[in-house]
Amino acid sequence: MYDRSLFEQRRGIIGWVIGMAFFCLVMLAMYPTIHANASFAKLIEAYPEALRKLFDISDYTTGPGYLRTEVFSFMAPLLIAIYAILQGSDFLAGEEERRTIDLLLANPISRRRVVFEKWLALATGTFVLSLVLELLLGLVGPLFLLHLGWRQLTAEVLGTALFALFGGTFALAWGAATGARGSARGVAAAVSVAMYLLSALAQLVTALKSFEWASLWYHALGGDPLTTGFHYWHLGVVALSIGALLAAALLLFDRRDLAT
Amino acid sequence: MERVVSADVKESVAISLDHVTKIYRGGGGIHELSLDINVGEVFGFLGPNGAGKTTTIRLILDLIRPSAGRISVFGLDARADSVAIRRRLGYLPGELALYERLSARQILTHFAHLRGGLDWSKVQHYVDAFDLDVDRPVRSLSRGNRQKVGLVAAMMGDPEFLVLDEPTSGLDPLVQRRVQEEVRRAAREGRTVLLSSHVLSEVGEMADRVGLIRDGRLIAIEAVAQLQQRSAHLVEARFREPTDFEVFIALPGVTSHSVDGRTLHLEVAGDLNPIVALLARHVLDDLSIREPTLEELFMRFYGAPSE
Repeated sequence: MYDRSLFEQRRGIIGWVIGMAFFCLVMLAMYPTIHANASFAKLIEAYPEALRKLFDISDYTTGPGYLRTEVFSFMAPLLIAIYAILQGSDFLAGEEERRTIDLLLANPISRRRVVFEKWLALATGTFVLSLVLELLLGLVGPLFLLHLGWRQLTAEVLGTALFALFGGTFALAWGAATGARGSARGVAAAVSVAMYLLSALAQLVTALKSFEWASLWYHALGGDPLTTGFHYWHLGVVALSIGALLAAALLLFDRRDLAT
Repeated sequence: MERVVSADVKESVAISLDHVTKIYRGGGGIHELSLDINVGEVFGFLGPNGAGKTTTIRLILDLIRPSAGRISVFGLDARADSVAIRRRLGYLPGELALYERLSARQILTHFAHLRGGLDWSKVQHYVDAFDLDVDRPVRSLSRGNRQKVGLVAAMMGDPEFLVLDEPTSGLDPLVQRRVQEEVRRAAREGRTVLLSSHVLSEVGEMADRVGLIRDGRLIAIEAVAQLQQRSAHLVEARFREPTDFEVFIALPGVTSHSVDGRTLHLEVAGDLNPIVALLARHVLDDLSIREPTLEELFMRFYGAPSE
């Protein structure tokens, strides 16, 4: 199933890669204009502090700063998370809704194996997409005067990938528990967005700051890895959460009746 | 519940259902269903839609779990040893759904791989038997051809136990015959077949014994031969000239009759030859001889249909 899931992902992922590449190139193409442009820097400074905090706009005219705002503060993690959520919901709940699961489980494979292999395919797709992002920014960036440390870039992309994989695994687990593809997408998306908002708003609202720990966005990307590199403990929290969701998916799918 | 123990009961039991109950909140399901299917036998589930045939089959496949009772296949528990059972079993779902974007070859290869690697020659036998074009994407296949893919997937590798839910659905008569041949061949080779249908003649062609299911209960198990004897044919003949019908009504095997002007309705049990011979001596405007529908069969022999 791993192979077949990957095979079926093939077309989708090529589309996403192209879209991602296009987005990156557009962002990169604009950078030289902004880079070390004094008047632009002044413009950013004029933004209200709250806005700057919310969208994580600081040192916009430097490489990391620009990328952080334009690419990583919202767009890239969002794009990859959407991809992961769509795949996650499709792999399990999608099969059940389309009724192909009956024929699949006529074969001598355990339900747990089905869930696990599908999750592996999900993880592979997510990491491939993230790798494309990293390579594009790292290799093509310098052509547009945008230089980044590979270590920091990897740290940021890893955080992005893990956050997206969390969303995808959530969709997979919800699908495993309920067999409903639509709600799997909706709830996973809502949870992901909520975590993003919690992390972003926590920068502005002191009361929320103490709940920051509940947001996996915070753990994956909150420490500004693009500038500061790897935060292993925080990444570990995200990885653990993913593991817990996967375990739940394995258990829940095993225990219930499949769609009649 | 009537249980007929046939004279030549085989030694081992392929599948045993012991007071199996499945309760659904919305109603339906099955109740206290007990049944033994012997190794090498072809057993048919017969019943109207919604009777519980598919529910029973899905319970055997461990796709759903029973509310009560035990199910064992080859002596193994249907839930605990589900994977081991499915290794020896081939299943055709009643509502067949395939991976639309893949070709039949890709799907069959994928399943063969999941079964631990299968020699393609074993698949090819059935591909040829059903005349299936394996290289076209499934979404371009007609309903009948899709059903063929499902049949090949179930039968490839000659599993010990075949579970076929509505196997001839959507197939033209020629392919239906091939299916019947393959089922009989499986039985000759000592393999066990469980099939379900709501078409009496289809089950009659293939099965040794038939279990009649209605409203989630197994109301009777009959050897097919007995069933066929019991089910009467309905003869309707419209005569050109006014005719004395008494001679028809008096024929042996005529269990009931009604007259409507020049049209004679008869129920004939058993041999049709006497009535056909007699009809042939008259000029007829119209003639139809049909077997009863499942509903009529149930009504006649097993009491009134459900509310």
